[in-house]
Order: sequence, then structure tokens, then C-alpha cells
Amino acid sequence: MPTDTKRVRGPEVSQSPTLFLCKHAAVLPSHGPRADGRQRDQVDVRPVFVRCGLVSQAKGSAYIEAGNTKLMCCVYGPREMERKDETDMKCGKLTTDMRFAPFSCLERGSWIQGSQDKDLSLMLHESLQPAVCLHKYPRSQIEVNVMVLENSGSVLAHAVTCASLALADAGIEILNQISGLQSDGEMTEETLTAGVRTCIEGCYKLYPVIQQALTKAVRRAAPPPSES
Amino acid sequence: MMEVCGSTNVSLREFGCEQTLLSRPDGSASFVQGDTSVIAAVYGPAEVKVSKEIYDRATLEVLIQPKVGLPSVRERSQEQCVRETCEASLLLTLHPRSSLTLVLQLIHDDGSRLACFLNAACMALMDAGLPMSCLFCGVTCAINADSEIITDPTAAQEKESRALMTFAIDSKEQRVMMSYTKGSFSVHELQQCIAVSQKASENIFQFYRDSVRRRYSKNL
Amino acid sequence: MAAGFKIAEPLEYHRSFLKENCRPDGRELSEFRTTTLNIGSISTADGSALVKVGNTTVMCGIKVELTNPLVEAPGKGFIVPNVDLPPLCSSRFRPGPPGEQAQAASQFIADVIESSEVIQTEDLCIERGKLCWVLYCDMMCVDYDGNVLDACIIALLAALKNTKLPEVTINKDTGSTRTSFCVFDDSILIVDPTAEEEGLSTSHLTVVTDEKERLCVVHKPGGTPLSAEKLQECIGRATARQREIQKLVDKVVHSVKTAQ
Repeated sequence: MPTDTKRVRGPEVSQSPTLFLCKHAAVLPSHGPRADGRQRDQVDVRPVFVRCGLVSQAKGSAYIEAGNTKLMCCVYGPREMERKDETDMKCGKLTTDMRFAPFSCLERGSWIQGSQDKDLSLMLHESLQPAVCLHKYPRSQIEVNVMVLENSGSVLAHAVTCASLALADAGIEILNQISGLQSDGEMTEETLTAGVRTCIEGCYKLYPVIQQALTKAVRRAAPPPSES
Repeated sequence: MMEVCGSTNVSLREFGCEQTLLSRPDGSASFVQGDTSVIAAVYGPAEVKVSKEIYDRATLEVLIQPKVGLPSVRERSQEQCVRETCEASLLLTLHPRSSLTLVLQLIHDDGSRLACFLNAACMALMDAGLPMSCLFCGVTCAINADSEIITDPTAAQEKESRALMTFAIDSKEQRVMMSYTKGSFSVHELQQCIAVSQKASENIFQFYRDSVRRRYSKNL
Repeated sequence: MAAGFKIAEPLEYHRSFLKENCRPDGRELSEFRTTTLNIGSISTADGSALVKVGNTTVMCGIKVELTNPLVEAPGKGFIVPNVDLPPLCSSRFRPGPPGEQAQAASQFIADVIESSEVIQTEDLCIERGKLCWVLYCDMMCVDYDGNVLDACIIALLAALKNTKLPEVTINKDTGSTRTSFCVFDDSILIVDPTAEEEGLSTSHLTVVTDEKERLCVVHKPGGTPLSAEKLQECIGRATARQREIQKLVDKVVHSVKTAQ
């Protein structure tokens, strides 16, 4: 294994103390309400908290907290393309980067970006790409950076919501606000369609919250002209 | 008024310096302090990468190579110290949009390595003929368990010490350009160490002068 | 008009403020930005803290793991501090491995931990030569507006106070705080610089002091020379700041304890 020379290094191997705790594997209840008391088969989204424009250095930023999942997204750009050879004259370029803070999961993650992060970055890219009016920003790039501060499920979904919020906060033209919800597990075709339907319904529930946060941010940025 | 812990004379180890010992770089120097030895090489002013270009001055890059293995975080932080010291003394605005590279190779470490890096860097910059506003030198002081100040400590003395401080002193007004400390100490001890270092810097600058004079007396 | 002047001549813009002994954001030369602290906000970490110094935001999360001590030091545990400046916090950072600034910051924090003896690594030993704790302290900058090192130290300190090892609790802290200064035009000193001020100034100085008002680190990575009187002035201000921060950390830790 190549050693990481760019960080302060610790011991070669270490184990989390939780491994040594004698606990029986938690079995998910298959009937009745879910472990945290929410209803099954229904649109029962965790309470969501969103804020816009927290990071002073970024063009646009957003923070989302759903249950214990906390993430932060910053948008930089549109700015000059970094790699001149890839410059597209007609269309801008959207780059996404999604990372987990090392302390965000139960098991300590390494600093080096794993394949999971890259997969998630790609999925985030795919969900944002259609919504952003890239043709309005020729020869420039827009960067979307997502940092997961605490992971307790549905990270990707909330990342999508958070990213679209940050894009809107940055004043980048997007076709539509998008929000995401996630459901996991092996699915047959029927449950899949049902799952998608529930997710869409859940998303509708999220919209008002997002809109509220956005209007709040805009109000703060441009206070209504006072009579003087 | 400043009592220098019993001894008024500052003891430094045997110094040695050779300039222009490498043929490829634009300037080079080796610096020896006791058993600690460093080779420095300067390249530039040369073309700079577009991403690193600064429009009104030269970009200085410092690379520190340890004796064995790859440079780690410790080297990076020392690089930062050396770079910012050099940046303050070099007149970088005379070479806008160009690059300067300073490579420091550690040959042997026997204490006071940051000081030795600084001294080697200054000699190499001088050898490269780069315009500078002042010279600088590095002095390391160690405070041992008996609160005595030891200048230019060896590795063994460093290990035993309670606190370790390295200063870069400029040649014009002998003020502190850089400070890097380890261990805990009082304000009074800090002031004492600075005073000792300033005294030691006189000897080092005299050594600079002598070695450059010796070199040119041979050449001319 | 002022905005145009600021962009065209940033140095002149700042000088005109400094002449009047104040700064563009309305602070006096030796005034700190408001510092807020929140601890224990991340449930997946064993200890965490969020610090805001003005706009600069740093989050520190501590993860505790078990490992074997080194053969050379059988009675010692590990503390592994790392500072990350992700591209998220400012447009000046690129994605990928940490740059020089982040690496130098990590080394600086490691030096501070070692010099100030915030935690004795001996206390992290469980069974001599067999088992010890390793504390991974990861500091993540969320918003970069100057003076990150200050924020990192405060975050680290607060997070350490918040950390509970499964059997033993850490309370060997000798709280240490640092203060950053910037030197403007070789003569004017300002504290707690913002990113803009950092970029324009000619020299930086960092002083770390501990509870007993002893100095732990006086870090000045080059830049323009500084006279002894100015240095004395900085140290005096640093000790005053140390007391303020100590009070803040204690207050927050106490309020969290009473809330539990």
C-alpha cells in the first residue's frame, strides 16, 4: 500500500472500539413502524432543515440537515475553464465533487477518496446535469462541491437537494428545482414503481421547505428598499 | 543588560561552505555545521507554469529532500518557513512572471537542520546572483533541563532539550524574520534566545563574508 | 465608487483605513471577530466541535480507535491531527491531495499538541506494549476567511474536551490558544486577519500560549522582519486572547454538561 506522505500519519492499523462491543446485530423490523418511529409504505420524510448562503467565500452555498444526516454544498463559478484543451465553445462544464469527512461515518473513513465517493460524485453529476442551463455559460465551468459532515442514510438524495439549492443561491440558471429521496434494497418491478411514486410524493413535500429557504436567503441578500 | 546565561561568547560548531559546486544549477552551495550538512541548488529565473504565474513578481518554489524516503508533512512545513524567509529578502518584483526553484538536499542531520537549510539557501541564492534586499541566516537555540541556552545544538542535545527555537535573522538590522519553536518556554527565555541568536548571527554573517571573499580571491 | 477602488487598488484601500486606525470591516486593529463555538454536534464522531471566527468556519471531529503501540515507545498512544482545506471552503484550493498550506497547517497543529502537552500520549496507553488509543483529529475548514489556524486550535481544543474514551475520560488538558497577527507595510500590526488581509500583508505571526501563560509556539514563517518591541506587544495580546477563549470553551463545555 502506498504511504500517504502528505498528511500526518498514525499507526499502520487500528480498529474501532465498536468492533469489540458484544452487540447482537440489529434486525430491522419487517412489520409496523420503522426503527425511528416513522411509518412504513408512506411518505414519511424526516424533518428537514435547510439554509442558504452560509459560506462567505462561495458563490452559492447551502446546508441541509435531515434527521442526523448533515451536509454542506458550495458552488463556485461560472469561471474560466481550467483545462484549456477541454474548452467547449457552446456549452459550459459542470464538475461535481462529493466527499465524506473522515468523522462522518461510524467507521472512520480515510482521507483518500474511495470509489464510493467517486460513484456518488458521478450520480450527483448525472442528476444535476439536465437541470442546469449549461448552454448559457459557454466556455466556463461550474463547480459543485459537496461535503458530508455526518452520514445517517440517504446521503445522495440530500446531496442532490442541497446542490440544487446552492446552485440557485449562486444565481446560476437552472430549469427546475430538484430534490431527491432515496429508497434502498432489492426490488422487484412492482415495488420499484411503488418506490418511485413514494419518492416523488416525498419530493413534493420538500419543495415548500426549499422555496422558503431560498426566499429567505434572497431577502437577506437584497433587503426590500426602505422608504426614506 | 541581557545576561546570556553565564557565558557571553556564543559557541557555534565548525562551519564550512562551498559555493558553485554543482555545474547544472544557476547557483549552488553546500553548508556544513558540525556534522549537519546540506546542499542547496537554485534554478532560475526561468519560465513558469501558467497555473503558478504571478503577474507582478517571480514565483519561488522550495523543495526539501530528506536523506532517505519521500518528503513528508514535516518537510512541507519547513519548506514554507524557508520559502517565506527567502521571499522577504529576495527582490522578486524584478523578475515578474518567472519561476525560481530552490532545492535543498539534506546530506546528514545532526541537529539544527532548519538553521542549516536557511544558511545553505542564502549562500546558494547569493551564488546565483539574485538581487536581494538583505542576507539572512538561521540560528537554532535549545534550552536544556537546567535552563541553559545552547546555540547550534547537536541532535543529542536537541533530544534532551526542553524547548527548541530556530530563528532567521536579517543582516540589515538583525531583526527576526522567521521563528519556529517547539516545547514551552517563558517570554523572558524567548527574549534571551533572540538576543543570543542575534549575537550568533554576527559570527555567521562574518563567516559568509569570509567564505565569499576567499572564493573570489581565488577566481580573480 | 468605494467598491471599484477596493478592486482596483486593494492595498491602497486597506492603507486608507489603517491610517485611521480601523479596518474595512469596522474593527479596530487589535480587535477579534466574534467567535462562536458549538460542541458535540456530530453524533458519528467521538468528539466534535464547530468554531466560527467571523466568517471562518472550522469543524473538528475526533475518532477514537484501538491499536498497538510502537516498539520504540511501548507506553505511548497516538494523536494524529490533520487539517483539510477542501475546495469547498474557498476557490483558491483545488481538489485532490492536500496542498502545501494544508500540510504545513497539519504539521503546525502536531507541533502545538507536542509542545503544549495538551494531551500526554502516555495517558492514551491501555496496556503497556500491547494496546493503546489513537485519536484521529480531523479538522475540516468549511469556510475560509483568514486565520484558519486560530480556528483550528480552538476547534481541536473544544473537541478534545468533548471526547470521551469508553473507559477513561480525557481531562489532562492544559488549554492552549493561539493568536494570529498580520504585519502590514512592515509596521502596522493587526490581529485576526481575514483572507483578504492575509493576502495583502507582508508577514504573519502566530503565538500560542497555555493556561500558565507560558509560550508554546511562536511561529513566524518568514516575511518581513519584526523588532523585539512588536513581538512583545503580540505576546501580550495573545495572553489576553488566551483567557477569553479559555472562558468561552469552559462556558460551552459547562452548558453542554448541564444540558445532558
